[in-house]
Amino acid sequence: MSNAEDNKSSHDQLSSQVFLDLVDSVIADVASECHRVARLGLDRDLEVVEEELRLSVEARAKVADPSNNLETNTKYVVDIFGQSHPPVATEVFNCMNCGRQIVAGRFAPHLERCMGKGRKARAKATRSTTASQNRNSRRNTSDNNQLASGPPGFEENVRRT
Amino acid sequence: MPFDFSEATVTSPVPDEDVTVASEKDELTLGEIINIKLVESGEKDNLMELVRDRLVESGRKDGMRVACREHVKKKGRKDVAVDELIRVITPKSRASVPDAVKQELLNRIQNFIGSAAP
Repeated sequence: MSNAEDNKSSHDQLSSQVFLDLVDSVIADVASECHRVARLGLDRDLEVVEEELRLSVEARAKVADPSNNLETNTKYVVDIFGQSHPPVATEVFNCMNCGRQIVAGRFAPHLERCMGKGRKARAKATRSTTASQNRNSRRNTSDNNQLASGPPGFEENVRRT
Repeated sequence: MPFDFSEATVTSPVPDEDVTVASEKDELTLGEIINIKLVESGEKDNLMELVRDRLVESGRKDGMRVACREHVKKKGRKDVAVDELIRVITPKSRASVPDAVKQELLNRIQNFIGSAAP
């Protein structure tokens, strides 16, 4: 009988509707609870993730920003630990060649002089240093156009100065 | 619970008598009638509790929570709204209800409708 069938299908529809309403209530409860936790900051994990996200966005913005003065940026760049480093390294240590106290940022030019022409400035002479010095002196007296076998830029710089 | 049951009072006469009086029933759909009866009889509470229990046991409620957290992580916790959360998790949540649970609930509801429908 069509009437009974209609009844049944409308009943089915109705029960489905009631069922969905029940499930929707549970969903709403869960959503409401999560919303509350999120807005009140009760979830530590969320906070950590959010902080990391914020920092990475900031870092990316800083890198991408063209209006930043690039010179100052590269000199006073802040690393991932939030530390900024001065443009010239300030740490002082002893030169292993001459034993003097050298500022790290000025070590390379010092080494040029120390190992290059400043043979007399040496306080400590190791065998390897002496050997390289002798090599240098032999090369200096020989043909100047010959390419040195040591670090080429280094030697040429010494010869030029 | 969002619904205040103290307000669920129905002063209209018992449905059996209303089968013949069509005019009054024009104002309420069958769905509404059933809903009222569900609430009145306390069956809605029972069903609600049953749904909750089954969804918790099967871990589906936790799944919904995880989906919520994921969305909150994406949007940032300050920007998220309840409506949005509901909208985002509803399709998957509805689909995630185990068939057995759905069948159990539907059976109970259908039985209720069968016995309570005019």
